[in-house]
Amino acid sequence: MAGSTLEKLTTGMQEAASETSSRSPQAHRPEHLAAIHCENLSVFYGAQQALFNISMDIPRHRVTSFIGPSGCGKSTLLRSFNRMNDVIENVRLEGKVLIEGENIYEPGTHLPTLRKNVGMVFQKSNPFPMSVRDNILFGPRRQGVKNRALLEQIIEDSLRRADLWNEVKDRLHTSALDLSGGQQQRLCIARALANSPRILLMDEPASALDPISTAKIEETIYELKDEYTVVIVTHNLQQAARCSDITAFLYLGKLIEMNETAKVFRNPSNKQTEDYVSGRFG
Amino acid sequence: MVDTRSASGGDAAEARTLRAASRPSGEGAPYIWTTSLAVVLVLVMLVGIVVLILVNGLRTFWPSPLVEVLLRDGTRYLGEVHAQEAKPQAQRTGRAGAPAEYRTKLKIGNRDLGAADFVWIDNASIKAQRPPSDALVFERLEYGNFYGRLKEVRAGERPVAGGGEEGIATLRRFHRTAAGKRQKLDDLRREQLNIRQPLTNLEREISALRGSRFAVSEEGAAELRRLEPQLGPLQNQLNEKVRPLVVEQERLRRDLEGLRVVMETANGKIASIALADIVRVTQPNTMGMHHKVLHYLGKLIEFIWQQPRESNTEGGVFPAIFGTVLLVFLMTIAVVPFGVVAAVYMHEYARQGRLLRIVRVAVNNLAGVPSIVIGMFGLAFFVYGVGGTIDQLYYSRYLPTPTFGTGGILWASLTLALLTLPVVIVASQEGLAAVPQAYREASLALGTTKWQTIHRVVLPNATPGILTGIILAISRASGEVAPLMITGVVKLAPSLAIDGSWPFLHLDRKFMHLGFHIYDVAMQSPNVEAAMPMVYSTTALLLLLVLALNSVATIVRGKLRQRYAGSKL
Repeated sequence: MAGSTLEKLTTGMQEAASETSSRSPQAHRPEHLAAIHCENLSVFYGAQQALFNISMDIPRHRVTSFIGPSGCGKSTLLRSFNRMNDVIENVRLEGKVLIEGENIYEPGTHLPTLRKNVGMVFQKSNPFPMSVRDNILFGPRRQGVKNRALLEQIIEDSLRRADLWNEVKDRLHTSALDLSGGQQQRLCIARALANSPRILLMDEPASALDPISTAKIEETIYELKDEYTVVIVTHNLQQAARCSDITAFLYLGKLIEMNETAKVFRNPSNKQTEDYVSGRFG
Repeated sequence: MVDTRSASGGDAAEARTLRAASRPSGEGAPYIWTTSLAVVLVLVMLVGIVVLILVNGLRTFWPSPLVEVLLRDGTRYLGEVHAQEAKPQAQRTGRAGAPAEYRTKLKIGNRDLGAADFVWIDNASIKAQRPPSDALVFERLEYGNFYGRLKEVRAGERPVAGGGEEGIATLRRFHRTAAGKRQKLDDLRREQLNIRQPLTNLEREISALRGSRFAVSEEGAAELRRLEPQLGPLQNQLNEKVRPLVVEQERLRRDLEGLRVVMETANGKIASIALADIVRVTQPNTMGMHHKVLHYLGKLIEFIWQQPRESNTEGGVFPAIFGTVLLVFLMTIAVVPFGVVAAVYMHEYARQGRLLRIVRVAVNNLAGVPSIVIGMFGLAFFVYGVGGTIDQLYYSRYLPTPTFGTGGILWASLTLALLTLPVVIVASQEGLAAVPQAYREASLALGTTKWQTIHRVVLPNATPGILTGIILAISRASGEVAPLMITGVVKLAPSLAIDGSWPFLHLDRKFMHLGFHIYDVAMQSPNVEAAMPMVYSTTALLLLLVLALNSVATIVRGKLRQRYAGSKL
């Protein structure tokens, strides 16, 4: 219910800010297209190659998880979906990444619009040293939303969706840094949702949290897939099994296997996958 | 080795024990001793100099008791004891090994009666000395202090009081009257100047034009021909206006001339002094604590708020305080935006490569350039270059008399800005580097542009670092004198850089400065010994001023740090 209100309220904002969405409005988005489609994607850090010819389709309104041992390129792959790799110097990329049909590595891509539509939550919670309220509104304000009622609505909706509303509704003006670790991470999720993205990328969102906070985050993730396409990188195999629909296993920069989560964990088609999910290495 | 960070809180004691235990007994002790000794030495020197300056600077205004000394040869002196010391070996009369002989330095004033301000007296030649209760000290507008006894007070030509307590009371009463009249006279004079201002402006314009190259041209000559006839009528008109003022002033001046005090010095010389020339009458030997404190505060306020007198060795230093603060203020306005913008480009936008490394090294080295070199550059670039060009373009009619093409507060503050620029750039870069990369990524991932990220996230969180740079810049700038001496500081500025006449802030004006004031009074004044207390006081004031400017910046930084508590700056 809250979601539909937000959808309505933020249409104005999307028209104002996003070129992509005005070119392919939500209503006419072809359903058969994958949310993210990549083709022969290779990423290099200087001379070192981090990803090798990755091709995959990530379906919309599903939770997709990337698993694999450290350094296998999960995060690199995730960060190439909203071009956050551009921040790092000496990164080179080959191949294509299509977000809802559009190649985001085409010259002339408007990065702020892309990143507004493809939100991201980082491994370490990184709320700004501002009030809870200002954290949530950081994105919408930068995109030029001025309407006070709309801003209030955005705060409540995004906090509700991140399961944080009941805990912080009375202290929206206190510093975000006074929240607990788990709350801070959920605040970061809420902050990303305040931009009303279509895709949410999460880079090990629960790795620095205690089991109870982790459980809350997982619950949140599971609820989010009704409205968003979620991609999550995780170290924790149980987490992938619990809250994702599709699992991709990466190893040494290559995509080894990608399938329904149940299949990957119970009946993997690849030997390496089997070894990894059964705990024989990694 | 125990990690000291874990030693916080309740574990501190335990950690200390562990650390002590992990060190073999005695090992390293000499190093600890020598290093701590260095710190102690530094502290001793630092505290020593601050205490010396503050004690000497702050006691200047405390009234010192008077002594009357009778020497064996019959000479009498009246004055303040300034110093006691053992006589130099060469001047001693006794055999080697005899007990040390002492001498006393007495301030006896009365410069107009032909004596030097100070005398040295051999303690051995003193027959008697006592603190006379009826001795008076006059602080005068000219010739320094007067020490003596009251003989009589005169109003007009007739005596109104003799000596003694009663006479002193009368003297004080008449002195107040005289001071009031003097104040009135000053006000009238100022009013007269204000009325004559248009005439002064016209005269200045004409005399500037007469000396200029412009006057030789056809156009200039025409301008002069147009202006000169205006002079006479304006003069007549204004003279008519100020006539009553002039008459009133003349009357006051005659009154004041009649108000005199006749004094007798220790040696029996008689002196007649106009009451209007006396700034303050004190009778130090009878003053109670209460009066001494009032006297002290009065002199302190005079020091801070008044104009200097007697070529800067008496009176106040207000113009110098004003000049110093305004200079630092203008310097800050100039250097901060420039330095921060440069640091933002170097840290946030520029490609981190070899060229940038070279630029960083160059900026760091710029901080080591001697200030006199920067001063020379300021003179050549700002004063002659920029100022000269401004004169060519906008004030060419007055050339060769310069307007902006000569030292002034604007050029001096820009020169200081150049001097402190590296400090601001380096500190700002450190401030920017201390902003966690996670904030930048979080902001960018929320769909902001790079500039929005810098403006909304990076700069606010770097503010404490930037303020550190400003603090360092202020400290450095408020202590610099050398570059100012060639870019516009003067011994005595006729008017402040801010006043009531349009455009209120006169950036082309010369200015006074506390640092230069210290140098000038200590090294260039006609009576260096008498000026010594003033040097200490001015130095103490400069120290306190720098401390105050720094404290303001530090408090602001502390407030900001609280606000961005999580950024670990």
